[in-house]
Amino acid sequence: MSSTSSTAELSDVTLRSGIDRSLRHPVMFFLTSAAAWLAVSILLAIVASVKVHWPQFMDDCEYASYGRVFAAHTNTLIYGWGFQAGFGVLIWLMARMSRQECRAAGTILTAGHVWNLVVSLGTLGLLDGRGTGMPWMEFPAFVWPGLLLCYLTIVVWSFIQFRVRKGERTHVAQWYLLAAMIWFPWIFITANGLLFCASGHPLMAAAINAWFKSALMFLYFIPIALGTAYYLAPKLSGRPIPSTSLARLGFWSLAVVAPWAGMQKLAGSPLSGVFLPYLGAAATALLAIPLVTAAANILRTIFSSEEKLPKSPALHFTLAGLMGLLLLAVAAIALNLPGSSLKLTQFSISGYGFEILALYGCFSFMMFGAVYFIVPRITCSEWVSSRFINMHFFFSVYGIVAIAFGALFGGFIQGSAQEAWLQPWESVTDVVRPYAAVSTFAWCVILFSNIFFFIHLAMMWMGLGRRDSNPILLDSPADMSAPIPQPNP
Amino acid sequence: MSLRLFILGLAASFGLAWLFVVIVPFVKMRNLEPITLSKETDGAVGIFYPKRSGRIVNGAKVYAENGCYLCHTQVVRPTYAGNDMFRADWAGLAKDPERGDTRRETNAYDFEGETFAQIGSSRMGPDLSNLARRLEAAAAAKGGGDPATLLYAHLYDPRRSPEARKATCPSYRFLFTRHEIKGQPSSQALPFGGDATTELLPDSDAKALVSYLLAMKKDQPVPAALNFAPAEAKAAAR
Repeated sequence: MSSTSSTAELSDVTLRSGIDRSLRHPVMFFLTSAAAWLAVSILLAIVASVKVHWPQFMDDCEYASYGRVFAAHTNTLIYGWGFQAGFGVLIWLMARMSRQECRAAGTILTAGHVWNLVVSLGTLGLLDGRGTGMPWMEFPAFVWPGLLLCYLTIVVWSFIQFRVRKGERTHVAQWYLLAAMIWFPWIFITANGLLFCASGHPLMAAAINAWFKSALMFLYFIPIALGTAYYLAPKLSGRPIPSTSLARLGFWSLAVVAPWAGMQKLAGSPLSGVFLPYLGAAATALLAIPLVTAAANILRTIFSSEEKLPKSPALHFTLAGLMGLLLLAVAAIALNLPGSSLKLTQFSISGYGFEILALYGCFSFMMFGAVYFIVPRITCSEWVSSRFINMHFFFSVYGIVAIAFGALFGGFIQGSAQEAWLQPWESVTDVVRPYAAVSTFAWCVILFSNIFFFIHLAMMWMGLGRRDSNPILLDSPADMSAPIPQPNP
Repeated sequence: MSLRLFILGLAASFGLAWLFVVIVPFVKMRNLEPITLSKETDGAVGIFYPKRSGRIVNGAKVYAENGCYLCHTQVVRPTYAGNDMFRADWAGLAKDPERGDTRRETNAYDFEGETFAQIGSSRMGPDLSNLARRLEAAAAAKGGGDPATLLYAHLYDPRRSPEARKATCPSYRFLFTRHEIKGQPSSQALPFGGDATTELLPDSDAKALVSYLLAMKKDQPVPAALNFAPAEAKAAAR
């Protein structure tokens, strides 16, 4: 009996390490190039943010003009960092959960290189003044077909792995990841096809663009973040997910509500369907239900463990990401109340705060958690310094809290100043300035935190990781010698 | 749940919203019908289908490429959605010397000639729906002059005039080139920055952008079907 189970365990370990080995190069490639793009995006964010409160900064340089730099910042954050971090985590999670080795590492790696090339060309085109002027779709028009082809080439293998998976039961993490994989091309082709290839009414084009932004956030980035958290939480706590029905409710309510959201950006504009923006506002507020449901379920998984959990970096980042998710749920309601808050936040920096909260405060934190979990497994070495991870964690948290509160709250102040129509317009510019300064400071803090991440990741990539069987923990070094409860591999 | 059922569920939940908020409105708004005017309500017959003059396509491209939409909006919301209408010079002019109060909401015909309505992201700067009307009024207040010159000066150095010293608008100096004066100085030259032999002239992109911005006069009278002003204001306008 015991020999059968140990044989099964051994073959299990062999299978897992086989999967890790087969994906080693694509996953490391995506994670390292994502980190490099994150650095680029943060630098661009700092330049853009400085220019809001100090417009003379680099004023003579055409390529550092605010309008171009800001667009380059958001687009590199999304297509450079977000997508590639997502790819790295997604292909690994899907392979592990389908228990299938990757047989197309070379193809994925090639597509990954092309993706980077296309994003680089797009960014250069943007800075050179060839942007399209549609938020989150600012890359020149030749970019989107390239991105789509690369995406399909990278992700199709995970879909095939799922089809031929071992075992009938599916994990809730797989629902989210699989759904994100299917939703994204649908959203991307719809928005780019209608905006670049079909001629419609200019206002409807703007509405579709607003819908695209929201759909990309809530039907691609947030599902990947939730899938990752649903995978990591049971692994880190050694407990099963407490409620399948809650998981199902969270997933399907997201699937039903999120596609209606986004058009609230056009509230009060003369669209044929005047109700569309208010439908979007209602749907965005309703998104609090799937977000809170999923967060509650994942938090219960983590805290249902009776013994004290080892303070692993993945756990810290996942918990912080869940806090970001809850804050996002609150903000989704607070920003979108027609008749009170929507008119204040519609054209204010709150929108930026909301997007950064979703992309960095929730999605990126989950991705960091996954990176700290995955990289030791595929490089067969351990993270070197718990101090580096602590620096990354705490300064990232400080930075995102400053940006989120600064922009969300500052947007309300800005909106109130806009609505005070008896005051001269200049007062609006004046009230925004301090919040822009907060944003500059916060992006500098985030850059500082990520320097530790970049160095650490580069060390792991170069094979300088610790050769040790003990995973790194964030306790004081004294605790390191204590026996460590092993989380499930 | 099988994969097929799962995909069907996704297709149904996403497809429904996709159809009703994206595809159907897109097709419905694709060909906006001109409005037929009637004798009783509009005092005229024919159709309302406004045309905008100026280099709309080229100018909108420069506007998009340089990210003007990040800080400027182009929509005057109805009073239920914001206070834009109340500002004295956003929705039109509150005291136009000839037409009186010309303020009105933005309508779907105001974006004629563009491919993407630059609704805008965040209002760091003012709304531009009626920028040309404001500039004309400002030029008239300075004793006549070309509104284009004011706009060129703003694009070159937004903080030049003392009242705008706190402006956060970036400067677009790269849209201008220093030329040697040959014969007469150019009428389009900036009123500053030149010397005895050279002058600053706007490039093609700057001219397109200014032409586009000077077409921002979204306060022309509209037919009754689009006029949402209170009854007494309508009567006064009549």
